[in-house]
Amino acid sequence: MATMQNTLRKSHIIADRTATVSRLEEVVATSDEFDQVVAQALPILLDRAAGYTKRFLRETGQWNDDIEHEKFALRWGSEYLERFLVCGRTEVPCRPLFLFDSLVAKQHSKPEPFCYHPDLLKPLGRFLDGLVARAVVSRDALIALYHHSYGWDAGDVIAVTGLNGLESQRIYKNFRRWRESGWQRTMDEMGLTKAELVELESQRQRQRQRFNSEAERLIRVAQGHYRKSEPDHYPCLSRSQWGEMFSQGYGCDYRIWHLALCLDCMQTAWGLGSSESSAEKPRLELQVRP
Amino acid sequence: MVQEEDLELYRSQLLDLRSERPSRSVRGLLDPIQVYVNERRVGELKGAEIEATLHVHGVDHIETVQLRTEDGRLLGGLVAPESGFRTARVQFSADTVELCVQNTMQGGSLSAVFIPASSFWNRTWTILADVADRWMVRRPASTMAYGIRTVAFTQVLLATAVIGLVADRVMIWIAPEHIVAPTAQAEALRTASIAEVEQLAKQLRELRLMQTKVGDALQSQEKGMTLLNQTMARLSSTQESVASSVVMVKEEIEKRQESTERETDRPVQLPVGRGVVDQEQFETAIHGLAADNERLSKQIAGLEEHNRTLTAKLQMAIAHVAKAVEQNPERVVAREADVARKHQLVPVADSRQNTQAQPFLFWVTFSEGTTQESIDQWVNGMKGHKGSLNEGWQEVQIIPPPVPPDLFLEQIKGDKIIKEARLNH
Repeated sequence: MATMQNTLRKSHIIADRTATVSRLEEVVATSDEFDQVVAQALPILLDRAAGYTKRFLRETGQWNDDIEHEKFALRWGSEYLERFLVCGRTEVPCRPLFLFDSLVAKQHSKPEPFCYHPDLLKPLGRFLDGLVARAVVSRDALIALYHHSYGWDAGDVIAVTGLNGLESQRIYKNFRRWRESGWQRTMDEMGLTKAELVELESQRQRQRQRFNSEAERLIRVAQGHYRKSEPDHYPCLSRSQWGEMFSQGYGCDYRIWHLALCLDCMQTAWGLGSSESSAEKPRLELQVRP
Repeated sequence: MVQEEDLELYRSQLLDLRSERPSRSVRGLLDPIQVYVNERRVGELKGAEIEATLHVHGVDHIETVQLRTEDGRLLGGLVAPESGFRTARVQFSADTVELCVQNTMQGGSLSAVFIPASSFWNRTWTILADVADRWMVRRPASTMAYGIRTVAFTQVLLATAVIGLVADRVMIWIAPEHIVAPTAQAEALRTASIAEVEQLAKQLRELRLMQTKVGDALQSQEKGMTLLNQTMARLSSTQESVASSVVMVKEEIEKRQESTERETDRPVQLPVGRGVVDQEQFETAIHGLAADNERLSKQIAGLEEHNRTLTAKLQMAIAHVAKAVEQNPERVVAREADVARKHQLVPVADSRQNTQAQPFLFWVTFSEGTTQESIDQWVNGMKGHKGSLNEGWQEVQIIPPPVPPDLFLEQIKGDKIIKEARLNH
């Protein structure tokens, strides 16, 4: 009896999925219709994008049958879905399913569509990857990266980057928002469980030096990849060039964006933004909590 | 098993995150909106209560445009076309961002305009203006401006009078103890100074003047209404004559169809073969002409495009040479990054130098009756050249003007042949 019920339930699910997919293949004429059709098909679209990502990883020899890789595929599927939900509604009239497939295919045809490194799939790697990836699209996360990398608060960030009064207020706001919701959202998006975060915190306390040197190795991988997403006219500079920028007070965005995403330039520009030029250069001191 | 549950939990978490409506995500009133082109941050729109604009020009084609909050949530965006324009309005809360993307052979450009939500009074005024416009749109042009002025003036006067009366009533209700008895009033009049009496007289004169103005305004409004009625009568008679013309035209068409049918019946008696051959020859000739025409159009379009490309390149080269002559010590860093800059998108708001290197694009419409020769003369006078023509709007490319774009547009609007000018079509 139970087996029959199970079979019936499964056949219902399959029928529903088939109907939803058929609806996605039909033309939608308006943005509202697009929203309506797509909202009913989110699980199907997520699985589809994750499936494509899996196939891409397999074909490029980067796949392993484990939960880390499954999570990685789901995470990128979700990223594509987010972009599709927002940009797809401007593409009407269209057939949503085909549009979605083309969007994913376009992403996968780019060089290095995502930051893949086997060590970045482990909890520490996922944590760092999540922070840096988020910093590229969120200013809150970007400013918080100073805290997570060096343990600085808002005042330290303002002093180190040499910001003026107006920008300073914004930094405090970025910190507050990150603590309130940004950090948790990022952890959720990366699939980091409470147990994994507790374990990371415990590692940090028990083996501080080892933990930080491993974090430095991995954060360099992530920063190297995601720095390509910041404007290209923000390259690494020499100390004299940084000095000129700090002393003349221009390039606020340049300083904030580049120094957060480049450990080496932080060392180079250390002391230019404040009177602490004699203090020891900063080293990575990873903070797990916001 | 635990891993499967973990994975399923992660999947449902992601689905929950994606189910959130992006347009309803929380954005602080004064928080800037981050603008991304091809998934690279190019600048921000100051999301305060004022309108803000961001222009981006680049050598690369624009593929995607995204708008994000400070916390990284995707508010909206669009996928740019391979070539040509695309516009989109992204609405969140009550604010709006208007995106306009253009991809050409020379690269891509983006214009993002932040339009804040209007206040209650602005909305009320807009609604009233809309209603007035809808009413006025039926009136002939000569009476329109006159009518608007009359209505506005009357409204202002009436509003002032009503507010004055209400304030007066309220003051009386609030402070009854200040009402003086008639005897006291008489006493007060006796003791009042000449200056006070004069002031009262002056106020009375002003009141009378205002009354006269109100009377005049009402008379003007009546005249306006009379004119409107006359226009309506003329309009209805014109409509009738148009309707009768339509009937006549229909009848004429029917007659011609009948005569054509009669004529087509006649050649049946003639040898059929000759007619068919002639028809085939005609058709072949027409097809040939159409194909030639199409080919020529394509060639012309290609040549025009090529010409535009060459002109733009020439102007850019001139601008680069001019820049190279300048010796500006503040740009040492920028010069070193020049090579990298050629392959990237540069926010104009951040770099005036780059803005100078790019041709300045704007759109104009010309006054009615302006000849093509005058237009060409005007464009030559601007040392620019014409771009595409879209719905009556002519794209013009010039070397960036020395004044800000808004001021420049205001200046050219003063030209006799220019009807309207704007940055985006």
